[in-house]
Amino acid sequence: MDNPRPVNKVLLIMRKEWMEIIQQRALVLTMILPPLLFALIPVGALFAIGTFAGMADTKDIKDLADTLSKLNPALANMNEIELAQAIIGQQLATLFFLMPVILPSVISSYSVVGEKTSQTLEPLLATPVKTWELLLAKCLAALVPSVVLTWLSAALFAGGLALVAASPAVFTKIINAGWLLVLFLCAPLLALITIALTIAVSARANDPRTAQQISAVLILPIMLVFLGQITGLLVLSPFVALLGAVVLALLAALALWFTGRLFQRETILTRWS
Amino acid sequence: MNAIETTGLTRKFGERTAVEGLTLSIPHGTVFGFLGPNGAGKTTTVRMLAALIAPTSGTATVNGHQIGVENEAVRRSVGILTETPGLYGKLTAMQNLVFFAGLYEVDEATAKKQAERYLKLMELWERRDDKVAGFSKGMRQKVAIARALIHEPPVVFLDEPTAGLDPEAARTVRDFIRELHVEGRTIFLTTHNLTEADELCDLIAVFRTRQMRVDTPANLRRALFGTGTLVQFTTDPAQWVTVAKALPFVHDASAHDGTLAIRMDDPDKQNPLLVQALVEAGAPIRYVEPMTHSLEDVYLELIAEDEAKNG
Repeated sequence: MDNPRPVNKVLLIMRKEWMEIIQQRALVLTMILPPLLFALIPVGALFAIGTFAGMADTKDIKDLADTLSKLNPALANMNEIELAQAIIGQQLATLFFLMPVILPSVISSYSVVGEKTSQTLEPLLATPVKTWELLLAKCLAALVPSVVLTWLSAALFAGGLALVAASPAVFTKIINAGWLLVLFLCAPLLALITIALTIAVSARANDPRTAQQISAVLILPIMLVFLGQITGLLVLSPFVALLGAVVLALLAALALWFTGRLFQRETILTRWS
Repeated sequence: MNAIETTGLTRKFGERTAVEGLTLSIPHGTVFGFLGPNGAGKTTTVRMLAALIAPTSGTATVNGHQIGVENEAVRRSVGILTETPGLYGKLTAMQNLVFFAGLYEVDEATAKKQAERYLKLMELWERRDDKVAGFSKGMRQKVAIARALIHEPPVVFLDEPTAGLDPEAARTVRDFIRELHVEGRTIFLTTHNLTEADELCDLIAVFRTRQMRVDTPANLRRALFGTGTLVQFTTDPAQWVTVAKALPFVHDASAHDGTLAIRMDDPDKQNPLLVQALVEAGAPIRYVEPMTHSLEDVYLELIAEDEAKNG
């Protein structure tokens, strides 16, 4: 048959995945609600701090501010409200990095388990699509919306923060170079690791919820970063962010290699379906 | 060059041998009926020939492309209807077809034209924008058949194409297979519906048998049961056995169920002589009809023959 314009099979599969996703209201809600909540709740909390902190006992806040600025010298020379917003804002900003774990696990689990439940794996693999094209399309179909939604949510958070921050200094203490590096480098890598592992787990699962359990495991290291920030043991400096990105890149490569080995035509057909 | 050729094709799953030493030659433009009991390895064979799984040993070419070496070319030249329709329920019939056409490297404009052609042939054009999840089993099966043909493959594998369809839908599908045959495509039909296989197939093979015979249904009937004539009388047929046996062209004659069964090589020429001899002997003939055997008889005979030989 004539082929006037080459078909990009990766884009074709991605488009099909998204057409299926947007028809599932529950799935769409699961994709939209967390980014909205993760952006608006911190903004609301920081607004409350900015509005109501002045009503609290000034002496207690001053003592707390002194202690915190000793733990984190970058926060020195801030007044009590600025300090409270900066400290709480930094903690809440860390929670953003849960999104690249939660969102792609939802999509990728449906994307692979969905093929199994609708018994489309065999006709799909009977086409001349290359296995790597299929794997890449599945990964990108989950990665692109997850990362875009994470970034949109972060932009919403940054916009809200600009409105409620007690001063520009508070804004720059929260939206700092380290946080931006994590957002733009580590978040996509985290999402990629989640997708690769979810696809691997999906090989054995017949229910998307089972495949999503992998995200529960991946949330743990992020919670450690969160705790590290709270206790002052870890500050998300550009160096820490870059180091984290290197480690995550290695882990992502490992996860993709592992999943690529599982994602073989015959294995998919004889063991996955 | 045949459309499909296999030599000693074997597939093992661990210790279990699913297909052993399959050797086949299917000419272009043939409707080939691949018969056999459940678990005989029919699906595994189709999967190997569609380059979905690799053989453990042996070789095969499909449309001139060797499986295991030119798998993408094999996949481009075959269309496959799997055991289950396997469609995306959340997409419409048209979206399903256009998506799969794209994977077969058909551009979108052509894919839409092809989808229109096949959906009209399958009497589903009015439902093209409905989600497949709301379709009946028969409708899904028709969409899956359209998908198997959307890229105009010269070789088509159809696994139980009419299973579970109502008689009207089954008729539509059978007519469609005939149309594909007229177009000159090679059709590899896996079915348990022996009447359908008899009606559609140029060649058949019963898979479970170790020395698999590939032949036309008529030749297999002749080889297994011979040819002959059935004669019914108004009296007991047993008394006319000796009259029939006395004729030089009669190989055998036996009476059962009120009928005299007479085996001979060329009933068209020899029936007048037979009838004449019987009438002259005073036989009160009621009916004369050709001796027929269904494909089911052929199938069961081949299986029984194999079991008797191989245990």
